[in-house]
Amino acid sequence: MAIVNDILKLKGSQVWVISSSSFVQTALELMAEKNVGALVVADADQIVGIFSERDYARIAIELPNFTLATPIRELMSTPVFFVTPDQTIEECLAIMTEKRFRHLPVLEGNKMVGLISIGDLVKHVLSKMDNTIKDLEEYIWIHMI
Amino acid sequence: MTTVRDLLMTKISSIYYTNPFTTVRDALKMMAEKKVGALVVIQDGDIAGIFSERDFARKSITIPGFTMNAPIRSLMSSPVFYVLPDQSVEECMSLMTEKRIRHLPVMEENVLIGVISIGDVVRHLMVEKNAFIKNLESYIGKNAHLRPD
Repeated sequence: MAIVNDILKLKGSQVWVISSSSFVQTALELMAEKNVGALVVADADQIVGIFSERDYARIAIELPNFTLATPIRELMSTPVFFVTPDQTIEECLAIMTEKRFRHLPVLEGNKMVGLISIGDLVKHVLSKMDNTIKDLEEYIWIHMI
Repeated sequence: MTTVRDLLMTKISSIYYTNPFTTVRDALKMMAEKKVGALVVIQDGDIAGIFSERDFARKSITIPGFTMNAPIRSLMSSPVFYVLPDQSVEECMSLMTEKRIRHLPVMEENVLIGVISIGDVVRHLMVEKNAFIKNLESYIGKNAHLRPD
C-alpha cells in the first residue's frame, strides 16, 4: 500500500511558507510565481495555518473591509490538519474528503517535510491502478490465452 | 468507453452561470452558496468565459486598485475550453491536465448542457478502473484451470 513518503520521493519536499502578517497580495504573488494552490502559514517556525485559493474565494467575501493589503491571518484556515510520511494515501484522501481540504502538510516529528495535494494523491492512485491493470492483463496473456 | 454524456447522466447537475458584469463579490457569494469552484459566464446566449477560484487568486493581484466590486469580465478566463457530449472521460482528463483547468463546460450544438469538474472525472475513472481490475481478477480466478502449469 502506498504511503505519503512514496509521493514525497517523487514530488520533493519543497513547501512554500509565508508569515501570518503578510499581505494577501504577497501570498497570491508567491502562489502565482510558484504555480501552487496553497501556502503554509508559519510564524517563527510554528505552523499556524494554511492559505489556499479556496480560502481566498470563500473568506474574502466575509470580511467587510477586505483589500489586497489584508493580512493572511484573517483569511487562513486553522487549525491545520497534517499527516506523517508513513500514513497511507487512503488515509490522506479520507481526511481531505471529510474536511474538504485540497492540501495537507506532512510533518515528521516537528519538522515539515512536504505538502501534498489532492492532485498528487489522485495521480498516484490512478497510475497504480493502471499498473495493476497492465500486470493482470499481462498475466492473462502469458498464462491463460 | 464512457462518454461525457454518460457522466452527465450520473450526476444531478445544475449549471451555475452568470453574466460578465456581475461583481466579483456576487460571483464568489454564489460559488460559496452553491459549493462550486467556478461559474460559467454567459453573454447574449454565448459562453463568454469561465470564472474560477483560481482566476480570482491569479488575476485579482494583476488589476490595479482591485476591489470586490470589479466585474468578473476583467478576471474570467477566455476563450473557454469545452467538450462535446460524445467525447470520452479520458479526453476530459487529458485536457484538464494539459491546460491545468478544473472545469469543462459541455456544449451540444452550441448550447451549454452541463459542466464537469475534475472531481467528477477522477471519481469516475477510479470507479471504472476498480471495476476493471475486479473483472480481470475474477477472470483469472474462474479460469485458473486454463493455466498450463
